[in-house]
Formats: sequence, structure tokens, C-alpha cells
Amino acid sequence: MARDLGDNERLDLLQGTLDMLILRTLQWGPQHGHGIGQAIQAQSDDMLKVETGSLYPALHRLVKRGWLKWEWDVSEANQRAKYYRLTAAGKAQLSREKNRWSQLVVAIGRIMNPSANEK
Amino acid sequence: MRPDHDELDDEIRGHLALDLKQRIERGEDPAAARLAALRQFGNLALTRDSIEAVWRPGWLETASALAHDMRIAFRSLMRAKGVAATVVVTLALGIGANAAIFSVVRGVLLRPLVNRDEDRLIYIRQSAPGVGNENMTFSMPEVDDFKSRIKTVAAFGDFSTVPLTLVGMGEPRTVQAGVVNGSFFDVMGLRPALGRLLTTRDDGKSAAGVAVLTYRFWATTLNSDPTVVGRTVRLGPGPATIVGVLEPSIPYPTETEVIANMVTSPHHLGATMEKSRTHRMTELFGRLAPGATFEQARAELAATHAAFVHENAKDYPTRGKVELTVSKLRDQIAAPARTVLILLLITAAIVFVIACANVANLILARSVRREGELAVRAALGAGSGALRRTLLAEGLVLCGAGAALGVLFAQPLVAVVARYAARFSIRALEVTVDSSVVWVGAALALAAAVLLAYVPRLPSTSAPSGFGLSSGSVRITPGTSRRLRMFATTQIAFSFVLLAGAGMLLTTLVARQAANTTYDLRHVLVFDMPMPATGLSDPKVLGVYEESARRIGQLPGVEAVATGSFVPWRDAGDRGSGINVRFTAEGYTPADGEENPRARLRTASPRFFSTLSVPLIAGRDFTDEDRRGGELVVIVSQSIAQRFFPGGEALNHHLNVLMSQPLPRRIVGIVADADDENVAGGPTLTIYHPIQQMGFGGRLFVRAAGDPHLLVTPVTRIVRALAADQPLERAATLEDVRAEVLSPERVNAFVFSGFAGIALLIAVVGVAGVLAFSVSARTREFGMRLAVGCAPRDLLTRVLSEGATIAVVGIATGAIGGYALARVARMFASVQLPSAVAVTSAALVLMAAAAAASLMPALRASRVDVMEALRSE
Repeated sequence: MARDLGDNERLDLLQGTLDMLILRTLQWGPQHGHGIGQAIQAQSDDMLKVETGSLYPALHRLVKRGWLKWEWDVSEANQRAKYYRLTAAGKAQLSREKNRWSQLVVAIGRIMNPSANEK
Repeated sequence: MRPDHDELDDEIRGHLALDLKQRIERGEDPAAARLAALRQFGNLALTRDSIEAVWRPGWLETASALAHDMRIAFRSLMRAKGVAATVVVTLALGIGANAAIFSVVRGVLLRPLVNRDEDRLIYIRQSAPGVGNENMTFSMPEVDDFKSRIKTVAAFGDFSTVPLTLVGMGEPRTVQAGVVNGSFFDVMGLRPALGRLLTTRDDGKSAAGVAVLTYRFWATTLNSDPTVVGRTVRLGPGPATIVGVLEPSIPYPTETEVIANMVTSPHHLGATMEKSRTHRMTELFGRLAPGATFEQARAELAATHAAFVHENAKDYPTRGKVELTVSKLRDQIAAPARTVLILLLITAAIVFVIACANVANLILARSVRREGELAVRAALGAGSGALRRTLLAEGLVLCGAGAALGVLFAQPLVAVVARYAARFSIRALEVTVDSSVVWVGAALALAAAVLLAYVPRLPSTSAPSGFGLSSGSVRITPGTSRRLRMFATTQIAFSFVLLAGAGMLLTTLVARQAANTTYDLRHVLVFDMPMPATGLSDPKVLGVYEESARRIGQLPGVEAVATGSFVPWRDAGDRGSGINVRFTAEGYTPADGEENPRARLRTASPRFFSTLSVPLIAGRDFTDEDRRGGELVVIVSQSIAQRFFPGGEALNHHLNVLMSQPLPRRIVGIVADADDENVAGGPTLTIYHPIQQMGFGGRLFVRAAGDPHLLVTPVTRIVRALAADQPLERAATLEDVRAEVLSPERVNAFVFSGFAGIALLIAVVGVAGVLAFSVSARTREFGMRLAVGCAPRDLLTRVLSEGATIAVVGIATGAIGGYALARVARMFASVQLPSAVAVTSAALVLMAAAAAASLMPALRASRVDVMEALRSE
């Protein structure tokens, strides 16, 4: 299990990146909301923490746009849970977001570390 | 896909269960773990709400935000009740006036007629502009020419109006009857409400007399009695059966009470009616033939008309320039009202502009006070959209309330305007407040609300220094102040135009009411006592007349009784009563090319002039000796004597009235001019004949010593005792008659004065509002002025003079603008410029109003508490 970081050390999610992280997480297969939140936290080495207050509206927004679909199943807690699955449109969107993200990283990197680029 | 409420609950519950399970697996205490899971989840309700918000459509989001804003706006307006009430009332007046006038315009100009296929229905009119005859109607030979030659009109309906005596339905009385041919109702496309209408089987001399009641007469006079159908009454000389009731429809060209077939009117069966081309009394309607267009029909009718005018040139004097106009019935009915209604619409629009200017003013002033608040909100990140929405919400609340009140206010106004418009178009009579009022009100309110939201400037992030962000206090900028003053000046200018117009109408009315008439108005009671068709040549009828007069004369309280042919003013409008004749005077030769002079022809019994207090200037009154078979004598008005006899020496000279048998008549008396056609009298050429020699009368005049109205019942009883079926109706004093004749003008003046009054009221509120705002924003300035030794009186005059400046500039602008407008309007219509009196009094009224409006704020300025004012910022 990952280290338990204090609130101050955690990073705030950049606006608009949560959608991309959700899509990325679901690439591995259908998952329920709790699992998605856990996965994002775990994969970021506990650096990122997703609040349920933003996670669930984001999931529903993605469903409304047609990038996700949901189905009901029984969870490991032996209770009905809603599992989210990536649609074809969602996959296409994920690759678009990936591209935009790497461009953004390069651009921001150039500004923040100009010397690194000149070398 | 959209989840319902339970589904969201399930999803959240599932999440919590998973979290709990994980925590317990990690070894947490179950009870503590449950609490921790809940805490971790955060605000349950908020999360659910933001999930649901994802699924709500975008417009709903905006709407609910607006509703929220409106609640806030409502609350904040409740704290500024004065401003809110003023805005609401002002808007209500503006919106109410507009909604009322629009519903009349819609009812008169836009609504289709009830007639079947009303757009195929045409009205044909013959006029002679050369002699000023707008509607000379048609004679039967002319109608027959049309019927036999025209192909594009499927059928013609003819209609003429005659007064007929109706006996057997309540009191015997004279009714206005329409006499029609059998195809009339089919052409008009009207249906019966009860029974049947007339058909071609009712045509011809041998048909039985039948009549149809008009709906209005049936509903009002007969209380919608269904048993009237089938009843036989005496209509005119013979019996007639009531066969049906006409559906409610617009009476055109005149309102009648019954519509009967030709048989009921002996006049229509006479040879003159059938043969004489110049005996014109028939109105003509037509229905377009299938496939024929209006243009084709118009062209064919015009060509046929030109042809028969050419064939019978002697019956169409070239001087008259006889012409034919063809119009759709709907347009014909609406035409005279168009100008007036458009004028009214403009007036209402002006009132609306004034109201909006005023409201804009108040809102602007209010928003200046709120600049601090708006600046704070802008600084906290509210976009300009959100700020506009706040203002829009306030506008909507204010205008919505204004519109609601305005629609209520429109109801009585519609009645007034409809009565007014009915003078020009009979359609207005049936205008009621319909739902269009509500729609117009709502639309205007919406327009006003949007307008109001865009009047105030918003704090802009680029120039934050202009707003009192830190203090949140009022700082009036020169721009705002200029805008406020501009709005107030606009109001004054528009009010001035309306006031001057209303002043013009009022001065005309007052002049008419104060005009000297020759008659004694208070003490003369008049009756219509219609003669039977045979006239006074029947000794029995004459006996009734003479004996009635004798017995009425013996009643206590009666000073004099007379009969005549014409009730002053009241009979002036009715066709056929105001008979004009040409005459030649002994010793007077008309100049070359000049026609023989025209005079009014009246009959009078002995004592007629003394009964009405018309002074006898020379000679004698008629006596009982001036009978049929005696010497033919006349009495003339003073103007005839002066104009046609040298030195006014008319007595014992002869006149020749050019009628069927021109015979010289000796002038035995000269009376003062008495204008019985116009209330504001002028020089009048009138020839009075003894009632027995002319053989027609029908009007009874009674001079009372006390209250004339008390004599109505005894007089009626005497006449009834002598002849049970003799109609006696429309009892009134001459004063009542004058009031009735002037009533359209009174309504006219009332409507426009009403508008002007509303405008004035709004303008006063506007000026007062601007000054009150300017004073309260300058409290500190006034305090300082007082502190350095300025007298309170100086501050008072300072503020008063500000009000006066607004008024003077407004009046000047209004005068210039109004004059220019009148000049432009004169190119299209005859527009009268208001008199100097009206203009001056309008200006004075506005100045006084402005002074009164500035007084309150001025007093407040002079009473500013120095210490408080200086401490206030």
C-alpha cells in the first residue's frame, strides 16, 4: 500500500485533467467509482487524491458525452455497484487527450526550464 | 441513460460500502470506520446535487439562476419601495395605454368580419367630389344597369334606409329600417341567429311583408325573446311577419333595427323609385364571381359606370365630377378609423417612451447607488453576464408587476377608446378586451425589462478606478448626471407636445360649449312625433297634431307649445331631415355663372319662435290662418333678408323656393339667425314655412316654466289618449341635445387629455426623481456649502433653478419638435396647429409642475445637516 501523505503534500488536480485520468484508468477494464478513485490515487503514488465530490459529477459528465457507459454489477463488498466502461468514442477521446497532454507538458517544460531545451 | 434519484442513492451507497470494507480490512474499528467513510465522502447532498446538475439541460440552469436572481431582486426592491412603486405605476400607465389601444386597433383594423368569405365581399360607392358629395348612393336604374351588364360580380345586394313606424312590439315607435332585395343576405354572407333571413322569394310587389330583426335590437330592446319569430306586426303601412333574427354582425352603412323586404316601404314600390335615375337612396354591395379577382371586378364596374354615365349624361352634371369607388367591405369599414387609430397609437407610443425614459432614469439613479455593490461583485469574479442578469432580474420583476397592473388598467381604457373609435368605425363597438391585451402587455414589459438591463454602465475591470470599490458609496459622474437630465428633458418635451394637443381640443370644446345659441336651452322640451307616411294632408292626422298641441298647452307649467320639422342639432346628422333648397328672391339676380342661393327649409307652427325664444325682428309670426289653400307665406332668417334684399327690406317681398311646384311666397316675418345644424352658430340662411302649407312636421316643442323633464309623462299621456299608435319618442331638453351632440368631442378631448395627464404625471415624477437623486448624491457638497456660509435659501433656489432649466429646455425642444412634426404631418393630412392659448397654457402647466416637483428635493437640500453631511463620507 502507498504511503499516507499529508494533505499539504498532495497536489491539486489541474483543471480538465480529471477526465483524462478517468479515461486512462478505465483502459484496463470496467471499474466502479470507488475503484477509479483508488486507482488514480495508487498509480500516482498517493500524490493525487480525487474527491468524490468531483469524481462522480465527472463520471456522469463523461457518460452524458457518450465516452463512458455504465452497467450494474455486484461489487467485492457484496453490494450493487455501478461499473463504468470505456466506449469506442471514449477510446478515441483518450488518445486525443494524451496528445494534447504531451504537447502541454513540452510547452510548459520549455517555459519553466528554458536552459534544458537549449542544450 | 439519465439516472433517477434511487439510482444515485444506490451508487453512493455502493461507494460507501466499498470504502467501509476497505477500512475494516485495514483493521479499523467498524463504528469509527463508518464515520470516517462518511467524512471522507464529504457533503452527500451537495455531491448528489452536482451529479444531477450534469444531467440538467443548459437553459434550465440559466433559468434557475435567473429565478434565484429574481428572488434577490424582489427582496432588494422591497427595500426601495418608493422607487419600485414609481417604476411600476409609470410602466403600468405606459403599458396599459398601449395595450388598450392595440386591442382596439386589432379589433377594428385586423380582425376579419364574420361574413362568409369576407374577402370576396365588395362595397360600391358613387360620389360627386365636385359638389362635395362623398356618398351620393345609387338609384334603381343604375343598380339595374350594373346587374344586367357586370360579369365579375356574382350577385348584388342593395340596401336603403327608411324610417318606418313599428306597431305591435312594445310602444309604437319609429324604427330605422333597412329595405333590401332578396339576394342581400346571401351576398353579405350572413346567417340567421334564429328563424330565416330574406330570400329572392320575398322580392316583388306581390310578396308578403317580412322583416328580420338585427341582433342588437333583438337582444337589447326585446330581451332576446325567442317567441318574436312568427309574430305579425305593423311595419310602415301594412302588416309584416318577423321571420328571423340576424346573427351579430357589423351594421354597414348604417345601424338599423329591422331589415325588411321592399313591400314594407311604399316608397320603394313607387314609380319614382323604379324609373328615376336621379332618385338615389340605395347602397350597393357585391360578391365577386368565382374566379374573378377584385381588380377585374373593379375595372369592369368602373367601365360599366363610365358607360352609363355617358349614355345618360343629363343625369350626371359635369360639375359634380361623378366617380365610382370600389373597395373590399372590410377596408371600407375600417378606412375612416385608420388615421385616428394610428394617431392614437402614436400618442400611446409617446406615453410609452416617456414612461420608459422615466423608468430608465430611476433605474439609472438606482444603479449608480449600486455601483459599489456591482464593483465588489465584479472584483469577486462575477462576469458581465452575471451582472447583467442581476439587472435583468430586477427589470423583469419591475416590468412584470407594471405589466400586470397595466393590463388591469387597460380594461377601462379599452371601453373609452372603443367608444371614441366608434365614431369612425362601427367595428369598434364590438371591441372588448381580449387576450391580445395580455400578450401586448407582456411583450412590452419584456422589451422594457431588456432595455432597462442595458441602460446602466457596468463596472469594467479595465477601469476599476471609476468605481467606489473601497467605500461602496455614491459618486455621481458627469456622464450619469447628463444622462439623467437628458431623460428628464425628453419627458418634458414629449409631455409638452401632448399637453399642447390636448389643450387645443379642450379650448375648442369650451368654445363650442360657451357659444351663444339663439335658443333658450333650459326650458324647451323636444319630442320626435313622427308622422305617418301620408303626412299632414290627412285631416285625421292633422287633427291629432292640433288637438295634442291644444291640450298640452293647457297643462300646468306649460308656457307654450309648437310643432316643427327639425330638432336643432339632433336632426342635423340624419339623412333627409336637413333639407336644403334653392330659391330665388324678388329683386335679386345671381351674378353670371353663380347658382341660385341655397337655404335650409324648415316648417314651423304658430308660436314656434316664441317657444324656442328665437327673436322676431320684423313682421309677424305664423298664425292659424296660414293654412293649406291660404296665401303662401314664409318667414326668413335675418341673413336672408340682409343678403338678398336691398337694405334688408324683405317684408312683403316674395321668395320662390325651387321645389316641385315653384310658387312665389310672401315674406311675412324676419327672425334672428338660429343655426340648428352647428352648435357653434354662424350666419344662417333659413326659410320657415307654415307647417300646414308644407304638410310635414313631426317634431313637438314644449316650453316649460319649471323643470321640463316633469312634463314628459303628462305630454305622452295626452298624445296616447288621442291616438294610441302615434309614436312619441326621444324626449329631451335642448340642453340635453347639445350635450349629446357634443359628447363625441367631449370623449375626444377626454381621451387626449387623459393621455396628456398621464404624460404630465410621469414627467413630474421624472423631474422630481432626477432632482431628488442629484440632491441626495450631493449631500456632502451642500454640507460644505452651508459650512462655508452659504444661506439655505440659496441652496433652495439653486435646486429649483435646476428643475426650471430642465423644464425650459424640455419645453423648447418639444415646441420645436412638435412644430416640425406638425409641418411634416401637414403634407399627409390636415393638421391644425394648436392656438397660442393652448401652447402657452401647456407651457405654464409644465413649468408649474416642474417647480412643484423640484420643491421637495430643494427643501431637502436646504435642510441638510452640516455635521452629518460632512461625516457621511
